[in-house]
Formats: sequence, structure tokens, C-alpha cells
Amino acid sequence: MLGSRLQIIYAILPVRSSGYRSLAATTSVTLQNLILSLHQFWAKHDCIICQPYDLEKGAGTFNPATFLRALGPEPWRAAYVEPCRRPTDGRYGENPNRLQHYYQYQVVIKPCVDTIQSLYLDSLLTLGIDPRKHDIQFRQDDWESPTLGAWGLGWEVRLDGMEITQFTYFQEAGGHTLDPVTVELTYGTERIAMYLQGVDNVYDLRWSDDVSYGDLFHDSEVQFSRYHFEAADIAMIHTMFASCEEECRTLLQQGLVLPAYDYCMKTSHLFNVLDARGALSVAERTGFIGRVRGLARGCADAYVERRKSLGFPLLAGSGVAQAASSKRKRKRLPS
Amino acid sequence: MSSPRPTSVPAKHPKRDRLSTTSFLLEIGSEELPWQMIQPAMTQLAHLMDGFLANHRLAHESVRTFGTPRRLAVIVQGLANKQTPALQETLGPSKAVAFDAQGHPTKAAEGFAKSQGVDVGELETRETSKGVYLCAIKRQKGLPAATVFTEHLPGLLQQLTFSKTMRWNVSGVRYPRPIRWLVALVGARALSFDFAGVRSGAHSWGHRFFAGGKSVAGSRGIRIRRPELYEAALARGDVVVDPARRREMLAGQLTQLARSVKGRVYQVNQEELLDQAVFSLECPNVLCGNFDRTYLAVPPEVLIASMEEHQGFFSVIDRKGELLPRFFAPTNMNVKNMELIAKGNERVLAARLADARYFFDEDRKLKLADRVPQLHGVVFHKRLGSLYQKTERTIALAGALADVAGLPEVKALCQRAALLSKADLVTGMVGEFPTLQGVMGEKYAAHDGESVEVCQAIGEYYRPRTPDDAIPGTTVGRLLALSDRLDTLAAFFYAGIVPSGSEDPFGLRRSAFGVIRIVVEAGLNIDLGVILQQATRLLDAQGVKAGGHAGPPLHKFLEDRLRYYGRTVPGYREDVMDSVLGRADGAACDFRDLFLRMDALQAITSQRDFESLIVGFKRAHRIVEKEAWTTRTVAVELLTHPTERTLHQAVETAKRAVGHSLDAHDYHGALRQLIGLKSPIDRFFDGVLVNAPEPEVRANRLSLLCQVDDLFSAFGDLSQIQVQGQ
Repeated sequence: MLGSRLQIIYAILPVRSSGYRSLAATTSVTLQNLILSLHQFWAKHDCIICQPYDLEKGAGTFNPATFLRALGPEPWRAAYVEPCRRPTDGRYGENPNRLQHYYQYQVVIKPCVDTIQSLYLDSLLTLGIDPRKHDIQFRQDDWESPTLGAWGLGWEVRLDGMEITQFTYFQEAGGHTLDPVTVELTYGTERIAMYLQGVDNVYDLRWSDDVSYGDLFHDSEVQFSRYHFEAADIAMIHTMFASCEEECRTLLQQGLVLPAYDYCMKTSHLFNVLDARGALSVAERTGFIGRVRGLARGCADAYVERRKSLGFPLLAGSGVAQAASSKRKRKRLPS
Repeated sequence: MSSPRPTSVPAKHPKRDRLSTTSFLLEIGSEELPWQMIQPAMTQLAHLMDGFLANHRLAHESVRTFGTPRRLAVIVQGLANKQTPALQETLGPSKAVAFDAQGHPTKAAEGFAKSQGVDVGELETRETSKGVYLCAIKRQKGLPAATVFTEHLPGLLQQLTFSKTMRWNVSGVRYPRPIRWLVALVGARALSFDFAGVRSGAHSWGHRFFAGGKSVAGSRGIRIRRPELYEAALARGDVVVDPARRREMLAGQLTQLARSVKGRVYQVNQEELLDQAVFSLECPNVLCGNFDRTYLAVPPEVLIASMEEHQGFFSVIDRKGELLPRFFAPTNMNVKNMELIAKGNERVLAARLADARYFFDEDRKLKLADRVPQLHGVVFHKRLGSLYQKTERTIALAGALADVAGLPEVKALCQRAALLSKADLVTGMVGEFPTLQGVMGEKYAAHDGESVEVCQAIGEYYRPRTPDDAIPGTTVGRLLALSDRLDTLAAFFYAGIVPSGSEDPFGLRRSAFGVIRIVVEAGLNIDLGVILQQATRLLDAQGVKAGGHAGPPLHKFLEDRLRYYGRTVPGYREDVMDSVLGRADGAACDFRDLFLRMDALQAITSQRDFESLIVGFKRAHRIVEKEAWTTRTVAVELLTHPTERTLHQAVETAKRAVGHSLDAHDYHGALRQLIGLKSPIDRFFDGVLVNAPEPEVRANRLSLLCQVDDLFSAFGDLSQIQVQGQ
């Protein structure tokens, strides 16, 4: 029903970017269509459509396609869906808004482009969100990841009071000052889809026309909540953390930065599990965060070195580099 | 030798100058700035512009600034078209060297004139401290204002500073968010300069989503034709550039909406919430939304915190003070159909309130008393152990305070309240809303069936939270508030973590000020020295490492707060406070008592005889001090002169009376007794010479004066009192 209403609205709307038609206008707003639509939009804006990274992580930022690619001088434009795990947010499938596992949609562009806010708003339009009918606000939200030794300035984007996207200009990662600056957009896909479908319970979301989010993931929420809060073997996870930390350090010494970073990611997730399990005091928490940050810094240093030794391959000649440089020709404001 | 001294030339033709004034506009367009930065940035911009105009000799009538999340702007009105011409004077050789005997200019004079590019005949003379010297006067022509601005505005922009900035492009410029456009106009003329990779011009941008907005198809922005038209032009682009106007709009809409639902806006931090709206929006429009009545079963403090902290919504109460199931949401949109936006906000709030209710229900499943062990896992400070350890100390101090204050009947209640005082910090609700600490403790304690006194104490012991906040209202609340703060103070001082300069990360000054306010305003006579000693013993017993001392330094710290209180609240004289705080037994730790002494002394300073009493006393004090005389018995048989005997009798009588008054803390009475000594002291000095020829008489007189000194010193160090004309 909502779909058809939006259809009428969009029939009379001059769509700004003629190349993209509103998702709502063409198909039903399932979660999978929302993702496909974002893929199309950002692919048309010269982003590589990456795939999720195959390790557990708390946020799309941990994917090497963001954390590592943000380092150094090489240009980079990518978009991808990222499954994220936040064990402490588990609610046994009983809370309509909180999940311990969910899907972020991540866009990273380096160097950041001047028109990024407008581009982002265009992407919302293709999803069927007309900024002239809603209240979209950019509210200050400075981002910091103590485990990644990273920070940036930006906003949470609010759609009629609901946070739908994190928008960040990275300034530092793994202790490195970033130059050029990477801009990161992180869409909350479930929230946007809930808004578009007009449902108040995430489990009622339609993933496809005939399968709901609950059909797919409700039992996973129940099981993982029980696991993280009740069943996880604390001693075993402590041991795993120590082993992964050790492995990361060893691999860094051998110059194997990408495998090393995998183990850094693993420590981060294991820390999150211990945290959810209530196995860490505040003081211990700080210690663990420091240990993960130490690994992340080591990986960042080694990654920059490695790319340098390869001659920063994306810096010139490659497709990404060309796409990025063509974007640098900024349109001047009318004057 | 030469020293250029530009001086402004007064306008010769005011009429013509008025005609030739113009105006100036600078707008810095950016992506959305953090709301807290905008007001300070406007102030800074005005200040920088004032300095700029003065430095560059640009006469003007007024400087006015504007600010929204996406722009900072400044308009200069009545701006001179050109810089004020300046006369630059350069001193040359002395007159003696410059002219020969016949009064003709010498080579030195000619050389100087040439170097300055003026004719010898135009040289003037100036008298200086070293003699008369030649002086060349050059007229500096004023450059057009537009030229000056174009050249120097980038420098001005570079001077803006912010608490947190970022880089975004190769220009390397730092600003809180990327700068996207610049408007610079002198009159109708657009100025063109480059800054942060942007070229300035005449085009601004309106509201992002309306005509003239960046995100509107085909929009080319808004052309500003003249600085005077700036406000109006942006208003047509749905942007209200003047924050004062936006505040008016918001306040008016809030009042109107509240009236329409027969209620009024209720917010503890209303001004701050309003500020947030004023500086987060370019086109403020408040809408009214509803939430489900069933949420009213959750404490109103929780609902209000959820609306305010998460969403920036205003709450509304009815005439009876009950929260209404409505909210006022400031939006940045003014469209005919606000329904869609209201519905969206309602849904978001419903999810928030559902979460709050979840916490409220979950939290009540475990008694506060059963949460206390969880405090083991919460660090108070890494050198001061866990909150559990702090709780243990607070319980002991609360008991000791009840004893010392002579209130054994509340001892058990104080200890119970202390046990539960930090337990709400490990509830889900306080984890989500830290500002609700104490508030939730009280609710949960009541739910657990704790006594009314204990619940109230938990609810109010964080007070006073601000200097204007009231102190706790109940005895148990006050004693709990004191024991919590005294433990905090003792612990940090003991560990050697002491505020320095403006650095006070743990709010120790605020804690100490709270202690002073509670003992003074609640009238609690407590020797805090005893309590602080016990606090030290407790810290030691818990194995906290000493790095400082909770004795004298902390005593001094509390005294400083008492002084601050005396200065700012009742407004005592500094010398009055010096007298009381500087007395011999400086270790006195009954701050209520010190306060009463100050109060009595301040009151008596206005009495007629006070000053002359002090003059007489100081004379006695100086003599005793000079002779380093110590207290000895006065031999009555050696008192030969009647004035001596009178003074001795008066001192003896006063000693007893002052003693009684001091014991009863009747400081007004004690000072009245001292005032009575005025004429015996005066007559004594008139009647006898202290330095009598007979050594035993002299010694006896010194002993008598020493008794006078001792008597006064029992009250305070009155030698600190400043007397007019001394």
C-alpha cells in the first residue's frame, strides 16, 4: 500500500538526477531491493561494488576495504554491504529495534568529493525518500573508534528524527593522519527499510516480496543472544584472544600484513563477545581495547609500508585512480 | 632615528563622507556546523572584523553577525568607500644639524627630504624629549575598501579558531566542517578571492531542499545583490539567518502549541534545548506529536530525558503538573503537510520509549541491594579502587557523620542509604541516561520497599548539582551528600590528585563547594577534621597508595571554597574572612562555625565604635608582638594607675563573658563584649606609658596588654582588619 502511495508521489516529482529512478517508483521496497538500488546508484558514481569481508566485525569500518584503504595516498571508491555483529545489542529477538547482527551499507570515497552531501541525498531519493517532504537533518556526531585508533568528524543523518546514516570525514586511522581524507557513509539498511515499508518491528520487514526478516534471522537472534549472554565459554575466548593477538604480532614480524589484520579483526570480535558475556570489568575493558588498538596500529604501519614498497599501485593509471581524478574536476559554483 | 607614526586625519567634509559610505557582506558557507560552535564563532567573527576594520583604517558604523548551521556571516554598515587617509610622520636629523648659522638647510636636511620624497620646504619640526628635530610628513592615500577586503579577507578567515576542526581538501585549511561557498560583497560589487579551494562571489545557497537550495534540481543558488538585502534574500530561500529571530520563532511556536493543548512546556534545561534548536535549524518549525498513554506508567523523568537527550524534543505538562502524552519536535521544514514528518517522529520516539520501558521493567527485577556487589566491576578511579570500595568508605563516613553531628537516631538510615547510593549506576536505565543517577535510585529503592528517608536521601544526595541548585532537603540526604563528597575529596587528595589552575577534571572544587553549602546552609556543626582523618584511615586500610595528603592541603582547599562562598553569597569583606580564617588555631575544621564567626564580624564592622576598637586593639597587638611577650599572670598590686585597674577589671569580666559566648557559638555576643573594651583600652593608652621606667611595672603592663590580645585572638586574628585611614 505504501509502495503505491509513493508511486503516485513520484509520478509528479521531477526526479533530479535523471539517470536514477526512484526505487519506490519501480518496485516494492524490500530490503534486498534497497541494497540493489544502492549498489546501482553508487556503481554509477564510479564506486567499486565490493563484497562483505568474511570475518566477524562490529562495523563496516573494520573491513579492509575501509580501514586499510583509507591509509596512504592511493585513491579509492567503494561501496558494499557489511554484516555486523554487536553481541551486547542482542535482545533474544524480543526487541523490535535492536539486533546483535545486522547489515550496514558502506560507501567510502577517497579523496572525498565536494558534492558528497548532495550525492548522498540523491541516493536517498532513489530509495524513495523525498527530502522536500521529510525533515532531514545533519546532526553533529563525531566518530571515534578506540579499538582502531581512528577518528573523524561528521554527522548522524536524521530522517524525521530517526538516525539513518553515519556520515564521517576520517581524519586519522591506526594512528596515521589521513591525507587525502576519506569520507565514509554508513547506511542503516534495516532502519531505512522499516521506514519505507512502514513497519515498526524489524522482524516484520520484508526481505523479499514473500520472505520476512524474522523468517530469516529471528532464530539467529535468539540463539546468538543466548550464546553471547549465557553460553560463551569465557576461558576459551580469553585463550583465543591471546592466541589471535600473538598470531597477529608474529605475522606482522613476517611482513604478512593482510593475514595479520585478519587476526586483529578477530581479537576485536572476541573482545566484544567477552564484553557481552559480562566477563570484563571496566579496568579490564580499557586494557583489552588498548591491546586491540596496538594491533590495529601495527597493521596500519605495516600496510602503508607494504603499499609503498609496491609503489602505491592505485595511485596512477588504474581504473580507480582515473575515476577519482575525473571527479576532481569540480564544477565551479555559478557566480 | 625615524619612527613612522600614522595618525588619522579627521574628516573634513562629513557631509560628503556620509554620501560615500557603502556596506560589506561576508558569508562563509559550509556543511552543517556543530550547533555549540555557532554562537561563539559569531562573537569571534565580530571581534575579528572590528580589529580588521581598525587595522585597515576603514571607518564604519556597525558590525553585525549572523549564523545558521550552514553559514556564518558578517555585515558592516556605514562603511567608508576608502580607507581613512593617514599622515605618516618620520623624524629626521635634529634642528641644530639641519640648519646652518644663517638658517639655511644643510646637506643633512636635504638628504633627509630626498630620502622621504618631500621638498625641503615642506619639512616641519617636532619637539621631542631630546630636543627639536626635523619631521617629514607623508600623506598615505586610502585604498578602496573593496581592494583591502579582497586582499586581506583570506588572512582574516585564517584567524577563525574552533575547538575541533578538520581537513577535507588539498588546501589544508582547517574548519569544523568543509567550506563550500563564500560570498563577499562591497556594496553591489562582488569580491573575488580564493580560500579553502573556493572562489568567493555573490552567490549563496538557501535552505537545502527549497528554492535556491543545493539539493534542488536546476538550482543556481541565491544571488545577493547588496549586503543590505542579505537577510531578505535568504529569507526568500527559506533561511532565517538571524539566530535571535529563530529563537523568537521557536519560543513563540512552543508557547502557542502548549496553549493549544492546555499545557505548558516543561524542561529542566529549557534554554539549552532551545539553543540547540536555534543553532541546528535554518528554518525552524515546531510540530506537535503524540505518544501512547501507556508510557505514562514510566517515571516522567525518564520520558523527559528520553525525549530531550535522544531526540531534542520538548515535553509538555498540564495545569496540574502532570506530563502529557505529547511532544514538541523542532524541525527544519515548513511544508503544508507536516503529517508525514510528525508520524515519523512519533515512530522514532515510540521505539525510544519502548526501550526506556524495557529498562525500567528489567531494572526492577533485581533489588538495588542485590546490585551492590556489581559495583566491584566499576572503577571509581584507577588509583582509588572500585565503586564498591568507595561505597564501603561512604557507609563508614555516613555513620561517623551522624555520630559527630549528634544525630545517632539517623545513623542506621544514613548507612543504609550510603550502601544503596551507587547501586543505580549499574542499572540499564542509568547506563542509558547518566543524568538520571539518583533519580532512578530513589524510584528503584521505593519499589524495593526501602524506607522513605532512605529513598529520599538517594534521590537528593547529588544536590546541589549547580551553584543555584538547592541543597538536599532531608537530614539523611544531607549527611549522605556530605559523606559521598568528603570521601571523594579525601580520596583524591590522599592519592595526590589535586586540581591545579583551571584543571579540575574530577570536579573537586564543585564537591568542596557542595560540602560548604550543605554545612553552612543546613546549619551543621561538624568537625570535618575528625571525618577526614577517618577517611584517610579507611583509604589506608583498603590499601590505596598515598601520593598526597588529605589533611592540611584539603583543609586549605575547603577553606578556599568557604572564602569563595563568603565572597559570592553573603558578600563578606576580605579582611573579615582573613581575620576568621587566619586565626592561631588554624586547624579548626568546623566550617559552619567559621562561617558564623565571619557573619558576626561582618555585622559588627558597621558599628560606630568598631573602627576605634580595632585601632586600640591593634596598638596593643603590635606592642605584644614586637616584644614577643607571652601570656603571664598580671600582678594586681603593681597596677598603680586607675586606667590600668579599670582595663584589668574589664578584661577579667570580658574573659568570662566572651568565653561563655564562644562556647555557645554566640559570636555576636562575644563581639559585643569586645566592643565594651574600647574605652578602657583607649583610656589605658591615654593614662599610662607602657614603657614605664620600673622594669616590673613595664612587664606587668605588657602582660595586661597580652591578655587583651589573647582575648581578641580567641575570636579571630582581628589584626587583619583594615581600618580606614590606616
